[in-house]
Amino acid sequence: MRASTLQLLQYLSAMALVVLLGFHIIERVPGLSPLTPESYEESLSYEVVRRAYKEYWWVLALLLAAALFHGLNGLRGILLEWRPAAHRVINLVFVAAFIALLAYGLRTIALHLAG
Amino acid sequence: MASEERGRGRLLHNMPGLLQASLNPWLVRVRNNPERLAFVLHRVTGVIILAYLVAHIFVTSATVDEALWESVMGALSGPLSRVGEWIVAGAVIFHGLNGIRLILVEFLGLGVGRPERPKPPYVPPSLRSGQRKGLYLVFALSLAGWALAGVIMFAG
Repeated sequence: MRASTLQLLQYLSAMALVVLLGFHIIERVPGLSPLTPESYEESLSYEVVRRAYKEYWWVLALLLAAALFHGLNGLRGILLEWRPAAHRVINLVFVAAFIALLAYGLRTIALHLAG
Repeated sequence: MASEERGRGRLLHNMPGLLQASLNPWLVRVRNNPERLAFVLHRVTGVIILAYLVAHIFVTSATVDEALWESVMGALSGPLSRVGEWIVAGAVIFHGLNGIRLILVEFLGLGVGRPERPKPPYVPPSLRSGQRKGLYLVFALSLAGWALAGVIMFAG
C-alpha cells in the first residue's frame, strides 16, 4: 500500500475514533451510559460488560480495527524515522501485529456472541 | 553510539537522533514553541495509549468467563491501577483534542493561509495568533478534561 494511502487512512481512522472511542468512554459514565450502570465501579460489572458485548458488538469490532490500525501505524511511523533502513522488517511487524491482535480481539467478541 | 558507525548511520551524522529530534523537547533548542511541545506530547501519549490498547485487548478477553473476569478486576482495582488509568485517560484526552486540531489544520488545511516569502524575522504561520490560540486551547481543555476525568474516576 502506498504511504499516502496509509496516511489518509490514519486521518480517516482518527475521525472514526473520535466517534467510536467517544461512545466507548460514555458507556462507562453513569447517567450518560446507554447501559445504565449505577456507578463508575458498577460500569465494569460482569452484567454490564456482557450487555455491551451483546448489544454493541459491532461498535467494539469497528473500534478495535480502527484503534489498532491507528496505533500500530503511528508506531510504524516513529520506528521508520528511527531506523529508515529497516523499513521491510518494520512494515512486516506492523502487518503481523495488526492481523494477530485484530484476530485475538475479534475472537473475544465472537465468543460473547456465541455463548 | 556504536550503531552510528555502521553504514547508513554515517550518512545521517548531522541529523539528531530520534530521542533528540522528537521525544525530548529540552534537548532541541527552540524557544516559545508550543507546537513542538504538542508534537512531543502527541507522540508520547500515542505510545502510552497503544500500550494500554494492547493490554486492554488481552485483559478484556477475560470477560468470556464470569469468575475469571471478577478475579482480574479484583487484581486491577488497587490505587496504583487507578492512577495508571488516570494517566491513560489524560493521554487519551490530550491525544484526542490535539488530534482534532491536527485534522482541522493538516487534513482540512484550516487557518494555514497562503504561501508567502519567509521574510526575516520569520515566524512560521503555525506559531502565529490563530494557530497559536488553537494550541493553547488544546492545552487548556486537556488540563480541564484531565481534572474532570480525575473527579469521575476517584469520586464517582
